[in-house]
Amino acid sequence: MNRLALISIFVSSVACITAFAGDITGKVTARKGESVVYVEAIPGKTFPAPAKNVVIDQKKLLFQPHIVVVQAGTTVEFLNSDKVAHNIFWPSINGNKKLGHNMGTWPTGEKRNFKFDTPGVVPLLCNVHPEMSGFVIITPTPYFAVTDAEGDYKITGVPNGSYTLAAWHEGMKIQTMPVTVNGNATQDFSLSK
Amino acid sequence: MYRPHKLSASGSVLIAVLFILLVGTNAYAIPAFSRLYGTSCTTCHLDFPKLNDFGKAFKDAGFKFPKDDEDFVKIPPVLLGAPAQKDVWPHSVWPGQIPGMPPIGLRMNNFFQVTSGNPNRFAALASPGTVPGYIPVSDFETGLFSIFMAGNFGSDIAFWVDDDISVAGDNGAGGLGDGYLKFVNLGRVLKLPKDALSLRAGQFELDLPFTQARSINLSPYDIYAEANIGSISSMVSPQNVANQFAFSDAARGVELSGGHTYGGYHYSVTIFDQNTSGVSQSANVNPYVPSATGGANGGVGFASDSSAKNVYARFAYRFNLERDSGSRNAIQAAGNTGPHDHTYLNLGTFYLHGNSLQRVVGALPDGTSALLSAREPYYRAGGDFSFNYRTFNLYGVYMAGRDNNLLPVDATGALIPLPFADNSPVPVKFISSVPAKFNGGFVQADYLALPWVMVIARWDGVHSSADRINGLLLSPDAPYFGAVHSTRNRFTPGVQFLIHPNLKAAIEYQFRPQQTIQVSGDGVTTALQALNPFRVNTFLAGLEFVY
Repeated sequence: MNRLALISIFVSSVACITAFAGDITGKVTARKGESVVYVEAIPGKTFPAPAKNVVIDQKKLLFQPHIVVVQAGTTVEFLNSDKVAHNIFWPSINGNKKLGHNMGTWPTGEKRNFKFDTPGVVPLLCNVHPEMSGFVIITPTPYFAVTDAEGDYKITGVPNGSYTLAAWHEGMKIQTMPVTVNGNATQDFSLSK
Repeated sequence: MYRPHKLSASGSVLIAVLFILLVGTNAYAIPAFSRLYGTSCTTCHLDFPKLNDFGKAFKDAGFKFPKDDEDFVKIPPVLLGAPAQKDVWPHSVWPGQIPGMPPIGLRMNNFFQVTSGNPNRFAALASPGTVPGYIPVSDFETGLFSIFMAGNFGSDIAFWVDDDISVAGDNGAGGLGDGYLKFVNLGRVLKLPKDALSLRAGQFELDLPFTQARSINLSPYDIYAEANIGSISSMVSPQNVANQFAFSDAARGVELSGGHTYGGYHYSVTIFDQNTSGVSQSANVNPYVPSATGGANGGVGFASDSSAKNVYARFAYRFNLERDSGSRNAIQAAGNTGPHDHTYLNLGTFYLHGNSLQRVVGALPDGTSALLSAREPYYRAGGDFSFNYRTFNLYGVYMAGRDNNLLPVDATGALIPLPFADNSPVPVKFISSVPAKFNGGFVQADYLALPWVMVIARWDGVHSSADRINGLLLSPDAPYFGAVHSTRNRFTPGVQFLIHPNLKAAIEYQFRPQQTIQVSGDGVTTALQALNPFRVNTFLAGLEFVY
């Protein structure tokens, strides 16, 4: 009997979630490369910081991966896998130079952590290898996605409601669009320089 | 009274316009190593071509990343044999590889020059009926267009070739700079410590304390260009020394070296051709004695004027003064704002020994005509230092040179006046006399004020009384120029801007040593007196790019 009750509760819960959350899908038209789409801050709503750290490696004179998207409050671990000295710094976050930071230098195989609390775009640079470039996109909500090779994206599990959706692509202007989720929603972007 | 010539307003505007135009361009030129590794020039250079510590390590390793080079190569090499072929050697050719694309870089520079104290004002002193050449106050000058390539063959064999395709706008007027193969870490065959022994063969710049061929300066170091030419004046002790060798010359030979230029010890021993008379290789041919490339039958002739060889040796030790113990033994020091060159003091010494050969037609004691050879041993010896703190580098060289002086005497034992004339007595032998000496050096400070701005201050000094005497007496019946003093000091401040990592604007102002156009004997002592001394100061601007 108890078993049947539990199953009933579980099925009901799933049905409720399905009824009040959906997916946002669409296509981002931009230059070659990945784009990032995310739900902007939702007034009056906060989200707990993720417990899991994200790793960005410096390997073969490249930031790997080139673009990382994390929710605000996430700690990023910067690893140096190269047998040359590296540095990581960012001159600003979202253009705010006061949020610029220099992580210094550390030996091969070691990591340094940084917790990103402020949403925005963080351009990663290395001051000895100026060709190296990477990005951390810090989103205010856990609702984000990276496009595939065709520019398609899918953000899952977004509660029903009206939001502002933003799309970012390296070297292009951020574009925002309103979106209303009622089950599922679709929103395309066309980015320009 | 000396007054430095100021840069004209129009000249300043022109330079500014050129600078702005070039800043506005979007040049993304990438030389050979940048292409191969997909990295910027600043990985190895501070202000190209000046190397940072990583660049020195890269060069020491045979133009490879010191560790895990293959991981960084972005263009896969072409294999000239599978690595497993090594297992069947000597029954196969030892496998190698070549870069996936030709590792070619090109270099071009242009200059604009303004001179002060122009000798045109002495044109009226020219001999009657002659029109002296005109030296413009300002001048645009075409520089070098050079091709260079370098890399390695996958093993520890590195190569370098650079050639000036065009000099001053003349096609093919430059010639080869360096062209060599370097067998890196050859000592492993003898079970020596790593990098204890390498071998370089071909044509190359000697292992000078500070390179002239790949210097950031617009003007060369005076001491490196100093050839020891003895005094030809009869008013002082005559000298039969005409040694054309200068450190700025490329050497042809073999070099053994070891250690590292970015830390610890470094040594080199070079055996190279002797060519103290400055003989041209293309002119030194004989139809009956083929050179390696065929002599007069389509070959290029011989590069030496003597069978003897010069020996050059250098030893240096770099004391690492880095305070951060964690990165003291790394190639670059770690810092709160990123890696940088270590704080260090490098001390070095060098010595060159050779024999300057001079041949004259003379006679044996029995009167038989014979070719007499005066072999005058000479040496160049000196020391150098380099102190580096972050982006500030202070360095310098002191060098002394000495050539034995063998004077020709006739059958009676009397000295034959120099230079030789048609009616000079026939020499039968040589006797030793006062050697020809010079000394001098330079001290330079480089400060990388910003990653793209290098501020430079340099002093050059050369002391040679023979140079002064020869300059004054070169042509006593026409306008001529010579150094006023035996010591020629030159101060050269400058600044360089990296418009892009591969594109540079550089300016320098050369406060040159005093010169004179007239000379007379003091009425009482008959000592030479320089009249109307003046300076040819030079403002020099250069634009250079590599791609």
